[in-house]
Amino acid sequence: MGKTSLIIAREYRERTKKKSFIIATILMPLFMIGLMVAPSLVMMLGKTDTKHIVVVDDTPGQIIGSRLASNSEVEFQLLDGMTKEQAYQAYDTSDKAFGILYIGRNIEENYNDVSLVTNTSASVSIEENIRSQIEQTIRNRKIEQTNIPGIDSILASTQVRLGSLQTLKNNGSDNIESMEETSTDASMLLGLVMGLLLYMILIIYGQMVMTSVIEEKQSRVIDVMVTSCTPFELMSGKIIGVAAVAATQIAIWAVLVIGASKFLLPVLMDNTALASAGAVATGINATLGNVLFMVKLFIYLLFYIIGGFVLYSSLFAAVGSAVDTAQDAGQFNTIIMMPIILAIIVMMQVFNDANSPLIMWFSMIPFTSPIVMMARIPFDIPVWQPLVSLAILYASVMIAIWLAGKVYRIGIFMHGKKPTWKDLLLWIKTK
Amino acid sequence: MDTILKIEHVSKAFTGHQALDDVSLEIPRGSIYGLLGPNGAGKTTLIRIINRITIPDNGKVFLDGKEIATEDIYHIGYMPEERGLYKKMKVGDQAMFFAQLKGMKKADAEKRLKWWFERLEISDWWDKKIEDLSKGMAQKIQFISTVVHEPKLLIFDEPFSGFDPINADLLKREILGLRDRGATVIFSTHNMASVEEICDDITLINKSRNILSGTVDEIRRKAGGNTFQVVFNGDIEAFNAAIQGIGTTIDEPEGIIGGYTQQKIHIQEDSNVQQAIASLNQACRLRSFQEIVPSMNDIFIRAVNGTL
Repeated sequence: MGKTSLIIAREYRERTKKKSFIIATILMPLFMIGLMVAPSLVMMLGKTDTKHIVVVDDTPGQIIGSRLASNSEVEFQLLDGMTKEQAYQAYDTSDKAFGILYIGRNIEENYNDVSLVTNTSASVSIEENIRSQIEQTIRNRKIEQTNIPGIDSILASTQVRLGSLQTLKNNGSDNIESMEETSTDASMLLGLVMGLLLYMILIIYGQMVMTSVIEEKQSRVIDVMVTSCTPFELMSGKIIGVAAVAATQIAIWAVLVIGASKFLLPVLMDNTALASAGAVATGINATLGNVLFMVKLFIYLLFYIIGGFVLYSSLFAAVGSAVDTAQDAGQFNTIIMMPIILAIIVMMQVFNDANSPLIMWFSMIPFTSPIVMMARIPFDIPVWQPLVSLAILYASVMIAIWLAGKVYRIGIFMHGKKPTWKDLLLWIKTK
Repeated sequence: MDTILKIEHVSKAFTGHQALDDVSLEIPRGSIYGLLGPNGAGKTTLIRIINRITIPDNGKVFLDGKEIATEDIYHIGYMPEERGLYKKMKVGDQAMFFAQLKGMKKADAEKRLKWWFERLEISDWWDKKIEDLSKGMAQKIQFISTVVHEPKLLIFDEPFSGFDPINADLLKREILGLRDRGATVIFSTHNMASVEEICDDITLINKSRNILSGTVDEIRRKAGGNTFQVVFNGDIEAFNAAIQGIGTTIDEPEGIIGGYTQQKIHIQEDSNVQQAIASLNQACRLRSFQEIVPSMNDIFIRAVNGTL
């Protein structure tokens, strides 16, 4: 263990001292906060001047044009006794008007008989504003024309909207009070967060192991290393070292993000955004507040992170050992990444039905189980499933380490020719 | 002879290429042993087999009389031809890492490293990164990393490549010093001057075979083959008559300044040398009589061309 711990320590020190590590560690939370704050910021900054639009309305009595309501976005000016051609000439620069809206005589029969000519580029939100105002006006007029008494209240009474649906888990008792409340929203969010977390860890840190192996091989340090320790000590030292780097980085992120959302978000986000976030949060709190459930979740997460990471990073280490440059790793990389990406696609389906047979199987296959099963666990699934899945995962981890060790021990000495799958198989078989 | 390392009938073939063919040799303890040979002769393969980086197809390697095992390798100091250091790591951290990996205690490692850094006058490099050093500078770090744990067996693959003459000299001195402190040193090279200066024994490998082994002195004397340079004043006919039956002349005589003639001769038997001197001294006025010992460079070229 002495040598392995030296290798772990070196890997950890060198990686955490790197500028790129420090930058990524600080930037990532900023980026995530940015994502959270961006929508309200865009809304705030997106407000522009009121646009002046002149309206030529050919309908009798200008029934449509006269009902267009100005607001902070657009200001309508109804023109009297001017044809659209005259209007085009009279208002031909953006100083005079943003655009000329023409409403045809038969608009109520022919919905296409309307046009907006602008002096500058149009804007989607203005078009939408005009479209919805005209639609509403025509609709209202048509309702009036039916001459049914009390039509307004009839229509209003058809607007049905359910409050939140209370979901509970049937525990066999006849008393709803004793049933456990569940929240699909919260489960989905948790599942999504955990699935993506695993995805990120497998890809980022798995690749980090690979680059580390390639670096050592490229700089030829490897020759000195293998006369100082066994290839297996070297490989496991690297994997554990990178795992420690990952743990550190994620811990820092967690602290920064939690800190930021507690203190920074209230300042940056306006009240409406906070209020809607709060509504979701109440639902989630019910789930998050369940301490026992969270502990269980955390333990599973830990096991899946470790298992998944070791499984993938040993494969990445094997690939790294077999090639000379990161570019050469391409084809092998694609194969390793495929199950990870497949897992993410399957994970999205978990939220429709966490217990479908297909998803159940994907949460058993070791290459996809960390991501898929972690997304399933917040939903209600039989207890034996994660246990069996973990058993399969850890058995596969053993096999993967063994195979990777075999490839690694030969791969690190191979220079020049890019290996083929056949070579790798041969190395595995070599005693 | 006290042998530290013995190589027995080692062969190794790579795809479509025989790298080593039945190579055997014995390395005396406490010697500086040169592995010579042209590029691609198989020197590095042999070194990698000793280090168990490459496994031979046939043959065995013995260290101290026992077949070499993986654990033994960790006590060997090995400097590969393709020097390898972590580019982004600080010099001192790196040297400490390798020293500890070789089993040294932290405090011990630091003390020994500081001593070496001072000795090679590079103390102020401790906090520099490898990527900021020149190739020769990095070589010194590599050298220190190889020797700091004071292994009893040291293997250097082409240690002088990449060094300027001053630093190559420094390195030679250090290698001699290591031997004097009890280490056995094996190094591969095609720098023949360094062989004459510091090697006690050599093996010459050519086309994957061991074509010449022995102590440097013996090999040079043997290759010289009792050839002498004689400078004299007198009749060449009398000269020829005097060595009749003992030796033969080589090449034509050359006149040199002061009326002297210079002639190369070959004497058949070691025991005849004194007799030759005596009869030549009678036949002419002998000025000098000197054995021609070929340089390792000559021997190398002749051996490789098969004319030794």
